[in-house]
Amino acid sequence: MTPPETQLPAAPATVTLTIDGRQVTVQKGTNVLEAARAQGTDISYFCYHPGLSSPAVCRQCLVEVAGQPKLVPSCYTPVADNMVVITASERVLTARRQMLEFTLVNHPVDCPICDKAGECTLQKLYMEWDGHPSRSDVNKVHKPKVVDLGPTIVLDAERCILCTRCIRVCDEVAHQHQLTMAFRGDHEILTTAPGQVLDNPYSLNTVDVCPVGALTSKDFRFKMRAWELYTVPSVCPGCATGCNVEIHHAQGQAWRLVPRPNPDINKFWMCDEGRLTYKELTRDRVVGARLGDDPAPLEKAINYAAERIEQVRQEGGTVAVVLGAQATNEDLYLAARVAIDVLSARVFIAGRPAVPDRVDEILRSADVNPNSAGAKIFGRAAAGGIPELERALQNGELSLVWAIGEDLPLSEEAFAALDDIEMIVQASHEDELTAGADVVLPAAMWAEVDGTFTNVQGLVQRIRRALDAPGGAKPHWELTAAIARRLGVSVDEPNVRALFNEMKSKVPEMAGAEWGRPQPLVQLRFANSRG
Amino acid sequence: MAIGVKVVARPSGIAQDMYVSAVVKGLGVTMRHFFENLFGKKHIVTVQYPEERAVYPKRYRGLHRLMTRDDGSVRCVACMCCPTACPAHCITIVAEETGNGAEKRPAIFEIDELRCVVCGLCVEACPCDAIRMDTGIHAPPVEHRGDAVLGKLDLLAHTGKSEAHQGGLGGEWRGAPPVRTG
Repeated sequence: MTPPETQLPAAPATVTLTIDGRQVTVQKGTNVLEAARAQGTDISYFCYHPGLSSPAVCRQCLVEVAGQPKLVPSCYTPVADNMVVITASERVLTARRQMLEFTLVNHPVDCPICDKAGECTLQKLYMEWDGHPSRSDVNKVHKPKVVDLGPTIVLDAERCILCTRCIRVCDEVAHQHQLTMAFRGDHEILTTAPGQVLDNPYSLNTVDVCPVGALTSKDFRFKMRAWELYTVPSVCPGCATGCNVEIHHAQGQAWRLVPRPNPDINKFWMCDEGRLTYKELTRDRVVGARLGDDPAPLEKAINYAAERIEQVRQEGGTVAVVLGAQATNEDLYLAARVAIDVLSARVFIAGRPAVPDRVDEILRSADVNPNSAGAKIFGRAAAGGIPELERALQNGELSLVWAIGEDLPLSEEAFAALDDIEMIVQASHEDELTAGADVVLPAAMWAEVDGTFTNVQGLVQRIRRALDAPGGAKPHWELTAAIARRLGVSVDEPNVRALFNEMKSKVPEMAGAEWGRPQPLVQLRFANSRG
Repeated sequence: MAIGVKVVARPSGIAQDMYVSAVVKGLGVTMRHFFENLFGKKHIVTVQYPEERAVYPKRYRGLHRLMTRDDGSVRCVACMCCPTACPAHCITIVAEETGNGAEKRPAIFEIDELRCVVCGLCVEACPCDAIRMDTGIHAPPVEHRGDAVLGKLDLLAHTGKSEAHQGGLGGEWRGAPPVRTG
């Protein structure tokens, strides 16, 4: 080793090491496991998670480092210059195989009734590494099964391989110490911390990170086998944060939402409330057009709506267009274009009322609409909010309200004032507003359309169609375009992609938006484990 | 090298063209069988179902049945291996919690016997010896398509006691293999 120069050069931010005979340069401070991954070598692991700290308890990621007598856990070993790592020598493979055998000693191997089967890391590694019957001839240690840990989660302690990922999710993501290990040796079990239940708003992330089926979500438990599910990347519609999610669907129905890693927004996580937003897709849906209380063909309802708008304009009345923050950028762009540039209508922005209680420093935002930022952009400077809309209604300034989305949290007086004027609503759910509206048009929801949402940071994110809309429901932009065409407005975009491109070229805030590539439909049985 | 073509001479002649000799010859065979069956040795292969029953081979795959445990509960744990293996998508299972140690059981277990292609893959796939096709009953004719959809109770009604070792062998698996009965 050469003695340091008198003037030390600045330490380089990167480190170059050799993994399996190939040189790789990574950021300083990276661990060997991530460095190997960057170079294209996968190292197996249970307890490591890229979003959590490394306790190195599972010993499944052991590698050989030249000059070190013992095998080292690659998740816990930071890279160093000129380090030589061997990830697949006979010694390493034997050690990993033996560790896997240890892990399986007390595991019940009840894959047929385990919800994780098909996306289980232990199952996957066993198939890849071992594949032999057990050599253990002692009875397995029995531990509690079907333990209720909290409102959302059930624990099967026998399946648990004590990786502590769930404990770290609670500690490091939710910042609440609600889980802990108790007892020692082969009697060690996962349990709630004294005086605690697992009820933090990020608790279901523990189910995602669980490499086995020890923690299962009460909501998803026994509903569907993982391998039957198809996955479609999308964005959570639960709040303005816009966590990236995968919609897992099968048989024309969404069964769960799971987070999709995005370092800029949600990292690896999402909140429990966001996960349950898929239930909205089947709750009280508007499945057909209505004129007042009478079901009507969609065509007729659209014609009637256009006639009413035309009549109000000829009589010199004021049309108000309400941009709902649950709709996509494309929907709102088209609605605003028609409203402002053609109808010279008054534009208001609406959405579900804010929930100040749910806000935290982690992911949850008080604004429970996925596209409030988009609505603000398209509503332009002239757009009012709910207070302005209430005032205008109570002063009788409006003759017709055309709402994109049914979420109008109006005061009772303003709501009563709606009765006196024409109300056209493009709605997904039945509620008070659709009950009293003159024209109800069935609108598709976020999982049933292609489009983009703008999150609170101003990032434009793509949502993708996973399901068919129920009944005759159509995307908002198609309904808006149909009404606009009957008003003599030229809407010549044939599809939502064309609308997106136009929006991107016309609206400066959308200039950086990307539509993204088409995604092949992937069934989870071909997507390996997610643990 | 081109393949050679062998030209076969077609039989011709007046007798051939008139077909009479061929008709007489054919009728002769028919009449011989008729009188033989009437008076002499019987060559009849038709089984007079349902008065007579054909003997099925031991491994004949008939209607499905669901097996029960010793306590009479259904062995199926709703693991969905059989609908996954089924090439005809004729099995529908909806799982539920049992509330006891078995954890999971089928709330709904339906097999559409009209869709079933009788391949037996569901039996192969079952990790619990819960579904079998050894009833020996072939699919009965039905008036309505819905009648061919057998529910959990229909399938359990075909039941017999399972031969599988209940609950696995635990730590004793190295010992003598279990004695199979039946």
